[in-house]
Amino acid sequence: MNSRITGNPLLVIVAIIATSFGLTSCASTAPTCASPQAKNLDTAIASVQASLLNGCQAHFERYYDDLLTIAEGDAKPENKREFSEFLVWANDNGLLSNRQAENYYNRYFNVKFMAMKGDYNNCSNTCPNKQKVLLSMESELSNKERGLMKISRDADAYYRADKLFQEIELVLEATCTACSASR
Amino acid sequence: MRHILPLTTLVIVLMATQLAAANTPTIRLFPTTVVEDLRQTGNVARDMETGLQEVIGRLDQQQELYLETKCNGAEDDPGCQRLAKQIGATYLEMLTIMAERLPDMEHTVNNTRKSLEKGLRNELGKKMTPWKLQETLLGANATQAASQSAPTLRGRSGMRLSERFKQYYQLVATSGAQGDQSLAVLASDIYLDMEETSLLIQRTRQEIARATLMEQLNQSFGIITPEMIAVVGGVKSILFGDEDSQPLIAAPPPGSVEQAYRSPLEN
Repeated sequence: MNSRITGNPLLVIVAIIATSFGLTSCASTAPTCASPQAKNLDTAIASVQASLLNGCQAHFERYYDDLLTIAEGDAKPENKREFSEFLVWANDNGLLSNRQAENYYNRYFNVKFMAMKGDYNNCSNTCPNKQKVLLSMESELSNKERGLMKISRDADAYYRADKLFQEIELVLEATCTACSASR
Repeated sequence: MRHILPLTTLVIVLMATQLAAANTPTIRLFPTTVVEDLRQTGNVARDMETGLQEVIGRLDQQQELYLETKCNGAEDDPGCQRLAKQIGATYLEMLTIMAERLPDMEHTVNNTRKSLEKGLRNELGKKMTPWKLQETLLGANATQAASQSAPTLRGRSGMRLSERFKQYYQLVATSGAQGDQSLAVLASDIYLDMEETSLLIQRTRQEIARATLMEQLNQSFGIITPEMIAVVGGVKSILFGDEDSQPLIAAPPPGSVEQAYRSPLEN
């Protein structure tokens, strides 16, 4: 049979064309990973979950941002829970590590700053990178404004985060000056 | 009256001690030495103000008279020269009082600064991670509303120096009644202020030595230099405050306290 195919150049050409058609048809069924179109957060989350399970996990960051934008259109305290449950689901399905899920949630919905997370003491860890830490905190504060104020309508929590940022600025300035002063 | 004052002070201190004992903070940022140093600094500042108030008042009057008699531009007039010499002498008096009092002030300010420095370095710098520091600043329950009793100290101009230290003393003496979050902010605020004050005193002492020499020379000629006027203005604003620059304290915008949801992802 093999010798007959290799022996007939016409059959070889037909086989190649058939294979390439087959490959092209496979490519056309790949997921489009489009953004959710729904304006309702629940529906949008369901649509994102389906996409993520359907090979779009690389787009997680964009989907998360899409969901935040949709939630801004219908701000309410329950949104916090929706995002938490979505991230727990992502963690359960192996799309995110526990640390990543915590980071996604806390950057937007917690008063405390993920930029101020470390295992070593402030003199050795925070002070040498004070400016960098404060810059990251500033950027995180705008995430918190979005998550707490614009999405969860939790103005009180956002103002506490803002006050915490100001206090950390002051306390770090004093503590780092004290750390660097001659003993 | 002389007997009532110490008695009142004693009652206040006792009440403060009781309050402190009832609510002992877990971080030690204000040992008793700091409280005592603050009280002493306040006393030294008050003595300096009392000593200078009269001299500065006299200087103001003399300067006013100098301007009213149109001595500006008529420096060769013998009357104006006499007035200028009088002003110069009062100015020297002011510098001498400051030179006498500043070392005491410098000493007590530095003591406070060093005690606070040690406390901040050990308690907040070495014993805490950045996360723990946030928890301390937020208080025991991060979901509770911000404390209304938190000290608001920033922007201290417009306040007498002695008043400033008196306020510090009162805040620190009753600090046991506040949480650790207030203590950390209070200690940082006072420490940074002490750093600044210490540097300012150092510079002022150097300036006084130079200005005294210059004025001793000027006394022979009876000249009022713009520098003299600037120095007097500066001393007045440091000691007695600049009333034009009262700090504005922002009020939080109205926001309803929503039912707090706690995610399992929240740290």
